[in-house]
Amino acid sequence: MIKSLRKLGRFVGRYRGRITGGICLFLVSRLLEATIPLSLKVGVDRIANGNPDLFMPVLSIVAVVIARFIVVSWARIAVRRAGLLVAFDLRRALYAHLQSLGSRFFSQYTIGDMMTRAVADIALVQRLISSGTILLVIMVFASLVAFSFMLYLSPLLTLCILPPMPLIFFYAQRAKREMGVASREVQEQLSELGTHVQENFAGIRTIQAMVQEQNEIAGFQRTNQAYADAFYRQARINSMMDAILPSLTAISTIAILGFGTHLVLTGDISIGDLTAFLMLVSMAVQPFRVAGSLVILFQRAAVASDRLFDVFERDPEILDDPKPEVSEIIRGKIELRNLTFAYGPNSVPVLDRLNLTIERGESISIMGRVGSGKTTLLKQIVRMLDTPTGCVFVDDVDVCDFPLAQLRAQIALVPQDPFLFGEPLRDNLTYDDPGRAIDQIWQAAESADFSESIDAMPEKMRTLVGERGVTLSGGEKQRATLARGLIRHAPLLLLDDCFSSVDTETEEHILGELNRLRRGRTTLLVSHRVSTARHSDRIVILDDGRIVEIGTHNELIRKGGIYAELERIQREGASESDFATISKH
Amino acid sequence: MADTQVEIRDYSMFDAELSGTAMNLTLLRRLIKWLQPYRRTFAFSVVLVLISSTLAVLLPVVMSIVIIDHIILQEVDVQTLDLGTIETTEWLAQQSGLSMIAAACLLYGGLQLMWAVTGHLHRMTLVNSVINGLRDLRQDLFEHLETRPSSFFDRVAVGRIMTRVTNDIEALYELLRGLGTLIGEFVPFLVALIIMLAVDIKMTGIFMLAIPIIALATYWFRQQTGSLFRLIRQSVSTMNQNLQENLAGLQVVQLSHREKYNHRRYDRINSENLKFESRSVKLETLYGALNDSMVSLAIGSILWFAGGDVIRNQISLGGMILFTRFIDMLFHPIVVLGQQFNVLFRAMASGERIFQALDWDEKVHEPLNPATLPKRLSGTVEFRNLDFEYDRGIPILQNLSFTIRAGEKLAIVGPTGSGKSTIVRLLGRFYDIDDHSIFLDGIDLNQIHSHDLRQRIGVVLQDFHIFSGTVYDNIALGDQRIEMARAVQAARTVNADRFIRELPLGYETPLSERGQNLSQGQRQLLAFARVLAADPEILILDEATASIDTETEVLIQEGLRELTRARTSILIAHRLQTIQQADRILVLDDGQVSELGTHEELVASGGLYSTLHSLQFQDTDDPPVN
Repeated sequence: MIKSLRKLGRFVGRYRGRITGGICLFLVSRLLEATIPLSLKVGVDRIANGNPDLFMPVLSIVAVVIARFIVVSWARIAVRRAGLLVAFDLRRALYAHLQSLGSRFFSQYTIGDMMTRAVADIALVQRLISSGTILLVIMVFASLVAFSFMLYLSPLLTLCILPPMPLIFFYAQRAKREMGVASREVQEQLSELGTHVQENFAGIRTIQAMVQEQNEIAGFQRTNQAYADAFYRQARINSMMDAILPSLTAISTIAILGFGTHLVLTGDISIGDLTAFLMLVSMAVQPFRVAGSLVILFQRAAVASDRLFDVFERDPEILDDPKPEVSEIIRGKIELRNLTFAYGPNSVPVLDRLNLTIERGESISIMGRVGSGKTTLLKQIVRMLDTPTGCVFVDDVDVCDFPLAQLRAQIALVPQDPFLFGEPLRDNLTYDDPGRAIDQIWQAAESADFSESIDAMPEKMRTLVGERGVTLSGGEKQRATLARGLIRHAPLLLLDDCFSSVDTETEEHILGELNRLRRGRTTLLVSHRVSTARHSDRIVILDDGRIVEIGTHNELIRKGGIYAELERIQREGASESDFATISKH
Repeated sequence: MADTQVEIRDYSMFDAELSGTAMNLTLLRRLIKWLQPYRRTFAFSVVLVLISSTLAVLLPVVMSIVIIDHIILQEVDVQTLDLGTIETTEWLAQQSGLSMIAAACLLYGGLQLMWAVTGHLHRMTLVNSVINGLRDLRQDLFEHLETRPSSFFDRVAVGRIMTRVTNDIEALYELLRGLGTLIGEFVPFLVALIIMLAVDIKMTGIFMLAIPIIALATYWFRQQTGSLFRLIRQSVSTMNQNLQENLAGLQVVQLSHREKYNHRRYDRINSENLKFESRSVKLETLYGALNDSMVSLAIGSILWFAGGDVIRNQISLGGMILFTRFIDMLFHPIVVLGQQFNVLFRAMASGERIFQALDWDEKVHEPLNPATLPKRLSGTVEFRNLDFEYDRGIPILQNLSFTIRAGEKLAIVGPTGSGKSTIVRLLGRFYDIDDHSIFLDGIDLNQIHSHDLRQRIGVVLQDFHIFSGTVYDNIALGDQRIEMARAVQAARTVNADRFIRELPLGYETPLSERGQNLSQGQRQLLAFARVLAADPEILILDEATASIDTETEVLIQEGLRELTRARTSILIAHRLQTIQQADRILVLDDGQVSELGTHEELVASGGLYSTLHSLQFQDTDDPPVN
């Protein structure tokens, strides 16, 4: 647990002064508080002796109350604000760090899980600092102050408080272990529940289309029950602690009652001493009462800290280590040298010893069956995947030597999955540079054959899209993402099968625009359609991560290989014999 | 519907900010409905809290009255209410032969033990009934949302639904637990108050004066923080939404090198949240410190006001000390109430949102007496003068009429936005349509229950969703009838079998939420397998073939040929060679039938279809295909 919490040092250390100051003030307030039983003792003794002069004890209580109010407020605000600031910093750091991670990380963790960490786990750390510090002061200092005051009143009676100590200590140890297990389980089950709901509703259309509602409801019942069970177990451990800890501390009270009464009767202490003692006992045993919640707080925060640093300790997936001498402008030549890439150490390579040189201004179409490595190839050029060094060269410079920001600013990749943010359309189209002029945005929309659709929307460019706004069709989304790529006028344009949901007419229009725009620029275009690919300078056919055919449309048709076959099938439609050939493959 | 009045209600306000401020009794009344099945446990818990509260009150009585008054001072001048504790102590001393002091300690210890046991049992019975009740509520909520229509999900974000099912229910748990705590606080409050009145009326009166001060402070605090808490809630929700979206679109963020910009934007919201939170911390601290001070002040005033009375023998010293022991019991409930305000109000808002969701009766209207479908439909589909619009005033389909014969393969083509997908959605009854618009085997679609209907129609939607689970789970989707052999058979028919077998664990390979370990083409093959395994009488493919490479496409076409044999099929695809499989082709333009006929007929007619066709396959430098 200590190890988990120590990691937080880098976030908490910054507010050391604030926290220490707060703690010191707490100490002062505790001292003040402890004088109240003493004033009460003086008062009770005077009353017992028939002396009606109560002015001084009462005045001192009132004065202490006012002073304590000021000091304790100050202390609390300091410490609680420190908690807020740490949470603020943690959120900030987590956000920044998550942005540096990539597909490898998110194939292991879901977004729902990350949200739980960002929300619940950070809150737990914040609670540890805000309340934990206060509780810790109570733990240590309250008993110190109370003990010294008690020793002053009666050393003998003070000994009575000692017997239950070892019991409390051992019980707290056990409860700590149990609580840790239980709270981890509750957090896991809650996260499970969240993921379940998220996944379910993301696929609700499929569920309803397949009439799977009842199955899903039954499935949810299991997750729901598992969470309730975990919660119940945790509540039981909590409640046991609430019952057992005060009972153990009551042993001290009973000892004081029994022996104290005896001492009063023998005249060793006054009745005021006993009264003050009983009051101080509750202050002295307070630490043992709060020990439980403090334990929980630390335990939970330790679990939360582990979960947070689980993310923080992930290195960024792509190392940004630019060489100073690279040119600031990318011109557009690409060279692949023996490029081999696999997603995991034991996986089959997706790209296998690929060699290819693409001249500046050339347009290349890449075709190939599913899983042949087309998307992986495009991602290597912008380093969306961990590109090996010495394999991919842009303008004869290894891509790994470019600053990442430059690489991604000057190479535009339009990914296969169209994704739009829940923001106005305008902001989505000019996502990389929000400062662009409006007519530039319209121009890009025009090139992507999207401007008419925008015109038809209620608020044009200001239309909010996505879940909270207008839902776009697959084709519209694709054209929007395309516009987002075209607006950048990048010297290198990589299009990853981004016409799949637009109809042929629209595609024709866009291809015409591309033809016009691509002058002086290098274009790589992944497609399945011969009608799309045929316009390119060269066509590359990938299979199992290797280039199996390369050449112009006419060359490849003449060659009579895979491309020619594709062209024929797409023109004439597949026949039974085609199926036989392909399934033999 | 003919037989039900379709009510007109604005369903666009699901996300609107609710009042969320007033202590809402209706809400509690509704909540109680879910606790009803567990009322025995709950009642037991109430009995237990009464017992444990009484025990909690008896402990200081033993301390002050038995020990201080009776044993130490041997008070005879003033008799104070002792609730039988003195007698019990004397009886204990007699029975065991212990001294009075030892007997009093024994009694104290016994009461403490009973307090611990009853307290634990009280908490556990309370938690038990509440957890079970809320588990049921959550289940009902899930069930309710799960069965909302597509129009609902068109508008409401998944994140919002998630908040209701998780966070809002959690808040309700806090509410009920808070109420439980309040009961546990106020019962001892009342018991202590009764005893105090019996001990000394004047002192009790003075005490009661402090309560309005605390109440007033609580009111002030509530006034100050009410709007602040709402601001905090809003900023937290904006912050989370921002993060969630950033993660979902991380690839785009990185490709647009927008990391820094987004981070700055997140920072702004984060800072705003910090500002509000800091202000609320200040208020909360001052309020809490004030409450603490009141407790200490009360000790001072007891001393001041009761001191003289003790000397004049109007009250015993033990009685006065008893008062100091009761301070906590009197003030604590109000302090707790103040602490719970935050929780209570957040829970109120959550409760409102939950019940709003449960009351959200938006649905596809089902027939009162649904038609019984034959065991096997022949599969004739007729569209008769169908008009449809999603938003009022923006027609999507207009006066659409055509018939698909049983077993016929009809391809629907047309430009983006011409309404192709809408036809599919309406045929699956995902949206309400007018009566007598669509007929299946001559039965009005509105007379068929949507569940019955969807079991007969297999739809492959544009956005294919993968569920966590194995490949097999994703094909069978929990349908018991689909065994492994049948799933494999279906996969083989649509040629998905090959790639599945290449996965590390074959059909048992777990798939991740977003299906990242599968390519789009593979996901679509899987979608086919899924539909085929269910063996529907009518098959609909919605643009799903669009991004599959030619080889896979060929595999699918072959599978499709098997699949569509003797099955009414509607194919929506942009790729004309896929459509060539179809018996007839319907060209849709602006929500209207523009052309309908066989491939040859349409090419010959020289209309929209022939233009589309030539665009894809004929370039000026090529000889014409046909």
